[in-house]
Amino acid sequence: MDNKKSKEEIDVNKRDFFRKTAALSVTALAGTSLISSNARADDPAITHHVPWGQVWGDPVTKNLYGVPSAYEHNVTRRYTKLLASGNYRASIAVTPIHESMGIITPNGLFFSRSHGGTAHVDPNQYRLMIHGLVEKPIVLTLEQLKKYPSVTRTHFIECPANGGQEWRGPQFNSVQFAKGFMSSAEWTGVYIKTILEDLGLKPEALWMLAEGSDNSEMGRTVPVEKVLDDAMLVWGQNGEALRPEQGYPVRLLLPGWEGNLCVKWLKRLEFATEPWYCKEETSKYTALKPSGKAIQHFYANEVNSTVTSPSPEIPWTNLNDGDIVEIEGLAWSGMGTITGVDLSFDGGNNYVEAKLKGLVLPKSWTRWSYMHTYKKGEVLLLTSRAMDDAGYIQPTVDEETKIMGVESVYHRNAVETWEVTATGEVNHVQIRS
Amino acid sequence: MFKLDRKLIISASVATAVAVLSVGCMTGNTEPKGQTTVNGKPTIDGGVIYPVVNEKTGPYYVNPQAAIDAKKIYNGRAPTQKELEAWDVDLMPDGTGYPDGEGSVEEGEALYEAQCVSCHGDFGSGGGGYPALSKGNAYSLQKTLTNNRYRNADGDGPTRVFGSYWPVVSTLFWYIRDGMPHPMSKTLTADETYALTAYTLNLNEIEYEGEMIDYDFVLNREKMMKIELPNRHGFEPNIDGPTAPDDVRAYFANPNNFGGKKVNPAERCMKDCQDETAKVTRISGAGISEFFPPMATERDLPKTEESAGFNAKKSYEEACMMCHADTSMGAPAVGNASSWAVALEKGIDKVYANGINGINAMPPKGGAGLSDAEFKSVVDYMIDNSK
Repeated sequence: MDNKKSKEEIDVNKRDFFRKTAALSVTALAGTSLISSNARADDPAITHHVPWGQVWGDPVTKNLYGVPSAYEHNVTRRYTKLLASGNYRASIAVTPIHESMGIITPNGLFFSRSHGGTAHVDPNQYRLMIHGLVEKPIVLTLEQLKKYPSVTRTHFIECPANGGQEWRGPQFNSVQFAKGFMSSAEWTGVYIKTILEDLGLKPEALWMLAEGSDNSEMGRTVPVEKVLDDAMLVWGQNGEALRPEQGYPVRLLLPGWEGNLCVKWLKRLEFATEPWYCKEETSKYTALKPSGKAIQHFYANEVNSTVTSPSPEIPWTNLNDGDIVEIEGLAWSGMGTITGVDLSFDGGNNYVEAKLKGLVLPKSWTRWSYMHTYKKGEVLLLTSRAMDDAGYIQPTVDEETKIMGVESVYHRNAVETWEVTATGEVNHVQIRS
Repeated sequence: MFKLDRKLIISASVATAVAVLSVGCMTGNTEPKGQTTVNGKPTIDGGVIYPVVNEKTGPYYVNPQAAIDAKKIYNGRAPTQKELEAWDVDLMPDGTGYPDGEGSVEEGEALYEAQCVSCHGDFGSGGGGYPALSKGNAYSLQKTLTNNRYRNADGDGPTRVFGSYWPVVSTLFWYIRDGMPHPMSKTLTADETYALTAYTLNLNEIEYEGEMIDYDFVLNREKMMKIELPNRHGFEPNIDGPTAPDDVRAYFANPNNFGGKKVNPAERCMKDCQDETAKVTRISGAGISEFFPPMATERDLPKTEESAGFNAKKSYEEACMMCHADTSMGAPAVGNASSWAVALEKGIDKVYANGINGINAMPPKGGAGLSDAEFKSVVDYMIDNSK
């Protein structure tokens, strides 16, 4: 009955539509658009049957685990030799953020970084050991771990070297490579504090070692304060099991903190009074300052943002004078929640307020946009600047390098600038002294 | 129809009730705001935390039963002594976890030549994208850490290798034993790891009890505890001892320590913000644009070559290019005809066989998981692109 009713509605709507269209056509004929209306060629995509409209599609038995349309093959992670130490086993493949939609990265596009290659862990042989300064040390199978009450949270994970190749000036004419060492997902797992309710953390415990089971045995030291706040052991990523590249079956998630701290293929958590000095918190992931001292245990990825549209990848070369276009971007902070984003058209000299869009969540990608009327031939320097509820705002390149110098590699969060040329091409530039 | 109307009425009344309820609770049930302190102290990372208030943390609801019932869960079991011995093998700077055993610089050099040199280069000089282990005397190189091209764009940068940069030796031993050699980690004994650690100390000209570590030096647990690297105090904030958490929180409470910028949002600059000296800096030269796959945004069908399961070019890029892109690793290089002419002196079958079985520093098939036929087609691809 409902179906019938809605069919009637549709018929009514159709009649309305044709009436209105006819009226419009009369107006058009009477008006000045006569020539352009006649000159407009019929689109064969409409006037002819399309190939997929006349033959059977795939049976539902095909692709029982779905894959993207073959036409989307260019939407993919990418890698470059510069960022490969060794045989692409201690390397990174980065996310096409110019193609990202919303605040979730599809699992197949989530950036992939490892120190000894992507491990393929047999979940039946998976064991997690939690020991050291706890009353009741424990060994858990995957099934046992998942019996703890779960929580689901949306958080980005960012490599602290995101943008780290550009301390001395821009190098990548690509937003995928300049800012794509990060992705965002909805994670499911258990708060470590929930497990510690069970195990009993001894009061003298100040640090936690997290160690992976991959061939590099990636380890990092985490302060107990974070463990007791929002640290999670996660097994779910966007509604399914973690991908191997993200540490299947279990990784550590420290919301907002360096991606490297979110140890993948996790096998062991140990609690102690002193920190460990792992390779990836001494040799690397330490930020050298002009004083010659390096910041260690540099945890949170600070407030950051970038324009993602337009981009060098998807420029404005096809825009016409007067076109209304949405300038869009991402903002994120590992220190809290995004409270606002400003946009500059002159490289950060003057700003207007952009608008946040969609869900605004703590330590998560946040979408923002600004509607712009394009003037053919205009040259713009698009700079975005985000703020968070911890009270931080992105510094200028000069402000940041004045303190950090240019040798740090990590935690660069100065504003990014994208130049729109007179022909609509987009270039990555920096505004600096 | 009657049913439908009734349903609508019920929905409407529920909606009203919900509306009343939410108005009634508005003051008590708003989203908890982030706070920058924990128990009156700044957060350890300088950020905010979202404490659970009214069964919510930030925008997320939490099940308050979970924290209570977790205390009774304990689904696992205690680890056995042997399990702890197998997994609890980390090393800490104070000597925790340093195993029995010993190894000399001389033994380390032999091991290095056999298992490490192909990636880390002669005397740890690096190469092929793998890190250098030494660039000379660690004590003088440690002084280069203040070289910052922020002051002098064309000057020398800092040299960050093991001897000049790493704070403690235990990290090196731990990483060699658990992460090296990269393609087959955890195959070195404690003695071998002491030997390789000793050799790396020697390459960096590190001193033991005032004397430079020489060829005859034998490293063991006691000696390793006594070695202090030149950059032991080159890091901030302090993370050692009972004051460490407070030292860390004090450090990250000050934006000037780490290049952060705090501002009252109402007072942030909106007009004439940029320094007059700041100008547009462009990518110098072509920049870095060698991306794989090449950058493209077209919505077209992939070329059949790309969609096939095996692709010689892709396999080359993934498994071979690191050593065969140029001749610096001593391997015939793609694009270099004369280097292949030497390799091909004994015929193509010999080249295939050497590659399949491994030769010199090259592991069998270069470590690639290819069939013999696939591997041969990768060799053909490399030779075809070197003519």
